[in-house]
Parts: sequence; C-alpha cells; structure tokens
Amino acid sequence: MSAKTILHIEDNEFNRKIVRDLLARTSYRLIEAADGESGVVTAKRERPDLILADIQLPRMSGLDATRALRADPQTAHIPIIVITSFALSGDDRKAKEAGASHYLAKPYSPRELLEAIRRFAPEA
Amino acid sequence: MAPREATPRAHRVVPVSAPGSGLGEQIALFLLARSPLGALVQWVARVPASIHVKLLYAFLLVVLLFFAMGAMSLETISRMSRHSRLLDEAHKRVDSSRQVEHALAMQMNFTAMALLLKDETTIGRILRENNRFNSTLAQIEQAAPPEERDLIQRIRAAQDEVLTSVADIANLLRDGKLAEAMKLQLDSGYPLYERIEGLVGDLVKTEEDRMESLRESVARADRRAMVLVGAFVGTSILLALALGFVISWSLILPVRAADGFLSAVAKGEFGGTISVPNRDEFGAFAEHMNRMSGALHQLDEDQRQAGRQLRALNEQLERASRAKSEFLASMSHELRTPMNAILGFTELLLDETYGEVPQPLTQPLADIQTNGRHLLQLINDVLDLSKIEAGRMELSLVEYVVPDVVGTVQASLRSLAMEKGLAFRVEVPDDIPPAFGDAKRLTQCLLNLAGNAIKFTPSGRVVIRVERQDDQLLYSVSDTGIGIAKDQLDNVFAEFRQADATIAHEFGGTGLGLSLTKKFVELHGGRIRVESEVGKGSTFVFSIPLRVEEAAPA
Repeated sequence: MSAKTILHIEDNEFNRKIVRDLLARTSYRLIEAADGESGVVTAKRERPDLILADIQLPRMSGLDATRALRADPQTAHIPIIVITSFALSGDDRKAKEAGASHYLAKPYSPRELLEAIRRFAPEA
Repeated sequence: MAPREATPRAHRVVPVSAPGSGLGEQIALFLLARSPLGALVQWVARVPASIHVKLLYAFLLVVLLFFAMGAMSLETISRMSRHSRLLDEAHKRVDSSRQVEHALAMQMNFTAMALLLKDETTIGRILRENNRFNSTLAQIEQAAPPEERDLIQRIRAAQDEVLTSVADIANLLRDGKLAEAMKLQLDSGYPLYERIEGLVGDLVKTEEDRMESLRESVARADRRAMVLVGAFVGTSILLALALGFVISWSLILPVRAADGFLSAVAKGEFGGTISVPNRDEFGAFAEHMNRMSGALHQLDEDQRQAGRQLRALNEQLERASRAKSEFLASMSHELRTPMNAILGFTELLLDETYGEVPQPLTQPLADIQTNGRHLLQLINDVLDLSKIEAGRMELSLVEYVVPDVVGTVQASLRSLAMEKGLAFRVEVPDDIPPAFGDAKRLTQCLLNLAGNAIKFTPSGRVVIRVERQDDQLLYSVSDTGIGIAKDQLDNVFAEFRQADATIAHEFGGTGLGLSLTKKFVELHGGRIRVESEVGKGSTFVFSIPLRVEEAAPA
C-alpha cells in the first residue's frame, strides 16, 4: 500500500515548515497550497487522504474551501482538519457546520496535530 | 421610535359633532351651520367683553323682555276695562232712551185720561211725566255725540209744542170746553205725539245701533289684543331661547376647540394651534394654550433632534464596535500565527525532531516554551477581555456534566499541586443533574481560581467544592495560602491588579485571570465573592444558574 497523501493549505511559510518538519520522519507524502483557491484545485487533482486547512486564508477562507470540497462528490469523503484561531467564539461551531471532520485551535501542539492526523489517516 | 412628522393642526371653532351626541346636539349643530345664529355666535364671541359681562347683559335683556311683556299685559287689561265701561254707558243710554219713550207713552196716556176724567190731578200727572221726560232727555243729551244732538233738539222742540198744547187743553178743560179741548188734542196734540214718538223711536234705535257697533268693535279690539299679547309672549320666548343659545354656544365652541386641541396634545401631536374668535377669557385661554403648544412643539423637536443625534451616535458606536471586533478577530489570528510557529518549532526541537538537543540548550528551550505559553495566555486573556468590553463575547451554551468540568480542572492542575506537595481535593456531590452553560469558560474560571490557589499556597491544601442550592450551583475554591489583606480584597477582581505588586514578581501570572473569571461568571448571570485572612488562606465562591437562560446578558 502506497504512502498516504496529506494536503496542507496554509499561507504562512513558517507554519507550513512546522508540518513539513513534523511529517519528515513519517511515511506521509505532503503536498502544500498557499491559499484557499489553489488548495481546492490541488485537492481535486491530487485526491489526498487528509486535508489540513487554516481557517483564514487569502482568496478563499478555509471554511469556504471546506464547503467547496464537501460539495464535490469526488472530494466529499476526504477528512478535513480545520485549524481555527478562536478569533471569536463560535469558530469551532462554524468549522463543524462547514463540514470539517475535526478542528484544532492555533497555536496547536505539533504532537497533538500528529495524533489527529494519525487518527483520520492512519499511516500505511 | 420611528420619526414622525409633526403635523401642525389648527383647532378651529367649528361645530364638530361630538361622539354620542343626541338629537338636541344635532339640532344645535344644524342651527350653527345653516342659520344666522352661527354668525351671531361668532359675533358674540368676538365681542371684547368678559364672560361675566356678556352673561349679565344676556340676563338683563331677558329681564327687560319680561318687563315689556308685563307692561303690555297691563295696558291690555286697562283697555279692556275701558271698553267695558263704554259698553256700560251705552247700556245706560239705551235704557234712558227707552225711559224717554216710556215717559212719552205715559204723557199720551195721561193726556187721554185727562180728556176723559177732566180732573186737575191727571193734568198734574201729565206735567210730572213731562218733567221726567225732559230730565231723562237732558241726561241723554249730556253725553250725546254731535250727530244725536240735532235729533234731541228736535225732540225737545216738539215736546215744547206738546207742552204748549197740553197747557191749552188743560185751560180749555178748566173752562169746560171739552169739545174744543178734544179737537185741539186731535188736531195738534196727537200729531205732535206721533212726531215725538217717531223721533224718540229714532233715538232708541240710534242708541241701540251704537251699542251694537260698540260691542262688535270691543270684541274685535279684545281679539286683536289677545293675538298681540300672544305674539309678544311667543317672540319673547324665542328671543330668550336664541339669546341663551348664542351665549352658551359662544362659550361651548371654544371649549370644544380646546378639548380637541388638548386631546391632540395628549396623543403626542404637538405644534397644533387653537383658533377661536373669542376676545374674552377663552381668547386669553386659547392664546396661552397656543404658547404652550409652541413650547411643547419646540421641546418635541429638540427631543427628536436629540433622538436623531443619539441614533447617529449609536450607529457610529455600533460601527466602531464592529470595527473593534473585526480588529480583534484579525489581531487574534495575526498574533497566533507567529505564536504557532514559535511554540511549534520549540516543541519540535524539544521532541528532537531535528536530532538530539545538546544538554546546555535543553533548559533555554524549555524557558522559551514556558514564556511562549505565558505570552499566549496573556494574549488570550487580553483578547477575551477586549471582547467582553466590546460586548462581543458570546457564551457557547451547551449541556455539561459538573463532575466532568471539575475533573478536567483537577487533571490539569494535579501535577502542579503534587510538585508543591499540596493536598488537592475535589468534593462534588453525586446528585447534581446535568447543567447548561458555557462549560469551556467555566473550566477556565475554575482553572484560574485553582491555579491561583496552588500558586499562592506554600503548604497545606487546595479544595474545589461544588454545592447545589435550588437552581444555583455554588463553586468554591479554598486554600491555606498567604491570604489577602482586607484593604486589598476590593481590588482582586480589577485588571492587572495583584494584591501586592511584589507578588507579580514572585509568583508570575497575567493579572487578568480574576478579572476574566468575574466577567465570565457575570455573563452567566452569576456572582463571585472572596473571603480571606492573611496567613490563613482564601476562599473564592461563585454562583451560577444550574441552567443558564439562552439570552444570558452578554
């Protein structure tokens, strides 16, 4: 069985690097997108096994991207973990309503993130 | 309140049908609208005199009418009595003329008897009857109208002739010349008597005719007088009624107008005016009301203006508040993104993701992590407070189980308490039913209180207790710590206040925990209080409803 693919949609290079470094010693294959629109395009093309989406992204928010992916039957089944900032209370509820499988508040512990990733897309 | 255009309305003196008006009212309104009485009412209203004077004049006028009526009645009565006196006199004259007729008949009779009896006594009787005739005729003549005088003169002349012939007859009789006396009587006496009889008959007829015509004219005059008096009485009554009508309506109409005006004012329609023609007390009254209306209108306008300004200000505040929340939202995100990188890389380093960490770096990295977490907590607290101040803090109300909340707090702080060698207990009764509230914020409150308690307690114990009191839950956190001085107790819930500035240095902490805790408790509709004694320890107690209302004050 080939390695699981994870799509990380995040506009901040440092935060992308954290996930990159976190997953470097695992078997996951990581692909990245820097904004919501290209994230959705990439997801439809690559059909990843799990998507990590920041809530606040340029061009298209993480919530809108989640909705778009859920609306497409080809990507509707992919688990999505939304990274919220708890800017206003209710972010978690909004994430759930948009169709997120799970949400993590920023700043998250990389350890917890890896646990969540393994839960939704167990390593091959 | 929706802005409402003020519609200035003039409350004029117009006959307006009052609700529930009866027939009398309808008639009055008809008269005011369709008869000259309406104009008269306006005229009376315009008369520049006080109501007192107007009423006085009206009553005087009515009294004068009564006087005139009385005078007229008296005059009629006196005329009637004069008529009856005239009738009486006419009666007497008719009687007298009949007596004259009678006396004439007696004279003729006695003359005839004298011729038969031939005695002096009978002749004397003729003369006596003659005297009576003359005196009665004189009576009639005394009060006779000029046209009758001629008739009476002729009667008297004929009577004188009769008397002469009677004297001659008497002389002839005394001389015993009966045949000559008889002849004289037949030739001159009888024709004379007949002439007088005719004349007296005319007199009687004249008197009777005069009496008859007098009777008729008196009856006519009396009828006329009755009609006149009746007409006068009727006119007087109508006049008095019209006067009362005019006076009363000249007073009622301004009262009605004032009533309409005041009703409009009571309904909040300011700025209307009242227009009455009156130049009496009502005129002054209307003027005062108009001035009041103007003042009210001005006040109302000012108030509306203030309302508009307030609304504009409110909208401005609303916009500012929205801007503040938007700022908070992006601020929160912008601060967390680098914090995520700092804490994330530190954790990756400490987890040796990048290889083994040299011994001298371990502690500095742990310090970076601790301070990073403290900074994060500070950011969270500041943002929470800002949200509460901006009125943007909303509770996420959920069903929760009290022992779970307390258990989470205990699990989070157990290691900290153990490190300090403190006894850390929770006491939650088994029978607390499922509760409704923001479990996350309640957990945060308990973490703040219990975290503080552990921080400020060098030795002894920290206890979290939960009690149920009816529909309230009482959470208490007590410790055997350093305690808070009495004069500092009021300050503990203020932002960035620790009981003593040196405490912050020694114990750390953001200084926002208690302030936030108080605000969260109050957002739940609860209260918080503290009891403490320096050196003995402190107890924080907060109460929140078992089930928070959905529309909790935010």
